[in-house]
Amino acid sequence: MKAYPLGEFEEIVLLTVGVLYNEAYGVAIKDAIEEKAARNVSVGALQSALKRLEKKGYLESRTGESNEQRGGKPKRYYTITAYGKQALQESRDIRTQLWESIPKLALDFKCS
Amino acid sequence: MLMIKQWAHRFFQWFCHPDFYDEIQGDLEELYRRNLVQGKRRAQWQYLGRVLGLFRPSLMRSFSHDLLMNLPMFKNYFKISLRNLLRYKLFATINILGLAIGLAAFLLINEYIRFEESYDGFFSGADQIYRLSTVQVVNDEIGVKDAMTYHPAAKVLHDELPEVEDYTVTYKFGELVFRQEDKLISEEQVIAADANFFNVFDYQVIQGSANDMLAEPNTLVLTQSKAEFYFGDQDPIGETLEILGRFNQAFKVTGVIQDIPENTHYKFDMLMSDESIKEQYENDDWNGFNYYAYLKLKPQANIFEVKDKVDDLSRKYLGEEGSMGFNLFPITDIHLKSDYTFEAEIPGSEKAVTFTRIIALFILFIAWINYINLSTARAVNRAKEVGLRKTVGAYKVQIIGQFLFEALLVNFLAALIALLLSELSLPYFRQLVGQAFLPHVWNHPPFLYSLLTFFVVGSLASGFYPALILSGFKPVAVLKGKYRNSKSGALLRKGLVVVQFTASVVLIAGTFIVYQQLRYMQGKDLGISTDFVVGVNMPRGQNNEEARERITTQIQSFKDALRQHSAIETVGGTSNLPGGDGSDINSNAGKLRIVGLTDRQTGTIYLQFNDEDFLAAVNMQLLYGRNFDRNRVADSSVVMVNQAFLRKFNISDEQSVLNEYLQFGEDDTNRKFEIIGVVKDFNRTSLKSSVEPTLYLPDYAPAASVVKLNPEQYQEGLAYLQETWAEFFPDTPLDYTFLDDRFAALYEQDRRFGEIFSTLSVLAILIAILGLFGLSSFMAVQRTTEVGVRKVLGASVPSIIGIFYKDFLVLLGISGLIGIPATYFGMNSWLENYAYRIDFPWLLAILAVGIVTVFALITVGYQIYQVAILDPAKTLRED
Repeated sequence: MKAYPLGEFEEIVLLTVGVLYNEAYGVAIKDAIEEKAARNVSVGALQSALKRLEKKGYLESRTGESNEQRGGKPKRYYTITAYGKQALQESRDIRTQLWESIPKLALDFKCS
Repeated sequence: MLMIKQWAHRFFQWFCHPDFYDEIQGDLEELYRRNLVQGKRRAQWQYLGRVLGLFRPSLMRSFSHDLLMNLPMFKNYFKISLRNLLRYKLFATINILGLAIGLAAFLLINEYIRFEESYDGFFSGADQIYRLSTVQVVNDEIGVKDAMTYHPAAKVLHDELPEVEDYTVTYKFGELVFRQEDKLISEEQVIAADANFFNVFDYQVIQGSANDMLAEPNTLVLTQSKAEFYFGDQDPIGETLEILGRFNQAFKVTGVIQDIPENTHYKFDMLMSDESIKEQYENDDWNGFNYYAYLKLKPQANIFEVKDKVDDLSRKYLGEEGSMGFNLFPITDIHLKSDYTFEAEIPGSEKAVTFTRIIALFILFIAWINYINLSTARAVNRAKEVGLRKTVGAYKVQIIGQFLFEALLVNFLAALIALLLSELSLPYFRQLVGQAFLPHVWNHPPFLYSLLTFFVVGSLASGFYPALILSGFKPVAVLKGKYRNSKSGALLRKGLVVVQFTASVVLIAGTFIVYQQLRYMQGKDLGISTDFVVGVNMPRGQNNEEARERITTQIQSFKDALRQHSAIETVGGTSNLPGGDGSDINSNAGKLRIVGLTDRQTGTIYLQFNDEDFLAAVNMQLLYGRNFDRNRVADSSVVMVNQAFLRKFNISDEQSVLNEYLQFGEDDTNRKFEIIGVVKDFNRTSLKSSVEPTLYLPDYAPAASVVKLNPEQYQEGLAYLQETWAEFFPDTPLDYTFLDDRFAALYEQDRRFGEIFSTLSVLAILIAILGLFGLSSFMAVQRTTEVGVRKVLGASVPSIIGIFYKDFLVLLGISGLIGIPATYFGMNSWLENYAYRIDFPWLLAILAVGIVTVFALITVGYQIYQVAILDPAKTLRED
């Protein structure tokens, strides 16, 4: 049983928030995921993931500045909490463990 | 197109959790602007897509407070509503009573219309049953439509067309006199039917076998109540009843069936086997169409194909060049839509049903409008309550819910009273519409469903708008006391009052017009004089030469005996008494010419057979020529014509036809009739139809007599008539009516329509005035201060009332402007039913506006007066 529940999409969002560091707000996160993970992200899915992560305590947020582009509405910046970092760490450890326990032969493919 | 974003945004704003709103809205906006480079339209669609994507539970606000299923709150609503009703008793009474009367009237009418439309629908496969009737086609147009057909016609169609599953042929007797022991009983609802009858009309057979109880000659099948009437508790099967007159023999009862329901066009009390009249129908064969025949088609049959085939068969059996044709008419349409002559019973009127339905809707709307007007006008009283509720955290939806609940409560009380009212008024209503159609309403499920439906619809219709208005108050403004009724609200109220006034004007004017037309028809000079003229049906002889001759001599001596008495002025004879219904006449549809003067013409010509005294008895006017003379041998082949006949033949010089000859048919050797007289047109029936081209032929022993009594001693004359009858015809009950009464009876349906119209109008106006009473009372009280100030400044009571009147006069004026043309279009279409009609009475329409004005001003004036007489020193002190 994982001590820190974290879904696949949630993990990507959490990582991206980390990547963007101080600039992580809705549109920026969406753009980054679309670019780095090469997948389409709907605002709805992203927002509900952000809210979920915040509720779990992996993220915290602060109200940022607003501008004309946003019709006067402020941005909300997200940052990873220590708890969030542990969740990422755990997820990564599990992967690494699994990765390392794969027998060599199983991955002996010629990838052209 | 460009509204998409706006709507999507609104939707988003509505559902989004307020904590997330700013952030997400900002993101959406940023993305939208970025997308704008791809085109505005596309960007908007994408925006909408994103909003829909955001519609997920985790991002939504909580909707739980919207749930009206909040019991303590409901209790509170209930308490507040009840307190409000009790506190403003006048308004509560007006609202509830108005709604109750409106609902009761509407629902009763609804039942009546349902009944009228239910005619003949109860037979299994009713929509496959058609009546076979005969139409006359002149120049490819349908001329006379006759409900009856030839005796062999139905069988022929059954044999020729695979689509016809079954058929039955019937004959309706006029009146038959039955004898049971020493009692004479006149039966008017007897029909002769073949053994197939129950295959088409699946009445429930109580005793006897449906297939063979009509197979033998001289047998009878009775309805249950007739069986009880004649035989009481005894078993009627095998018993006999004697029929006098043409049969003069005993008939055996072979079966009993259920009583015939009210909602069928073909009512009867007894069925006679058609074998009993075999001689008659074999004689008639393809010569006369005197039979009601019905076909039942197979379920899969296509009526249009069948009709086409029937047209072909018409040509085959009724001749290529012949002008007669078969026609099929669905039985479920007969009651309301038939325009055929010789219907088995006087059909209902679809137009009257439509008019009644419209009036019923008027009534209901007027009642709903009362509720809307009173609740919105009185909104001020509730403003503080709403303001406070909002301040302590009520949502708009909740307040809408509260006022809808209140409307529901008021409507519920109204529905209960409506149920009571309609149950209590049902006997009067049945009498009003002249249909015995429903014993009770409280246990009649369709009525209760309608009640429930219109209770819910009514609550929403009347409650929604006031709820919306009341819930819209801004708490800050209201609690500061800055609230005033809005302008648009007042405008709407005025509009609704105009609707009520207009409906009242239309109804009053309509009532006037219906009665005016009735009076006109009853008072119009018919062309004959029917005062103190009694029509008497003569006994009919049996179906053999000898017996007929005997009865003819007897009738002659009876008439001679009548003439002896000084109270009897004239005794004449005719085949068809004046004042019968439209189809009570003989007709000929063949070719006819006036030899030497005109070509052969087709088209129906009506025939009446009179003796020489008929003319004098009804004061029918002979314009040219001479009367019949029974002493001239040649007078068996003479004829009198009326003016309408000459018009049909385009003859302007009326005198020129005297001594010319009429000839029927195509054959030059046919019998010729000498025209000996021209009579002035007279109406033989209702003024719905114009005077028909008619020929009067001599018959010295016709079926009915007209007895002109001396006005001064008419009762004596009547007594003598009865005595003499009993002396001459002890076997036949005397059947007489004053011709005046016969004519009045023709307008029975119109009179009834007038009564329905006027009763409902009175109700509608009553409810409207009730509403106005409440509204003006409220307005007057609202403006108490204004009135007080005006009085202090020297205004008199009349001038104050005048100020209030000004507003209402404008509304009344608008109502008149809408109401009069509306009446004109509505009532003109009704008047078009009549061949002789009044012109549209503009004066009466204006009078109707006047009446509504007077009622309205009295109502308003009374309320203003109550306020205007108050001492300003007292009213002003309160502020």
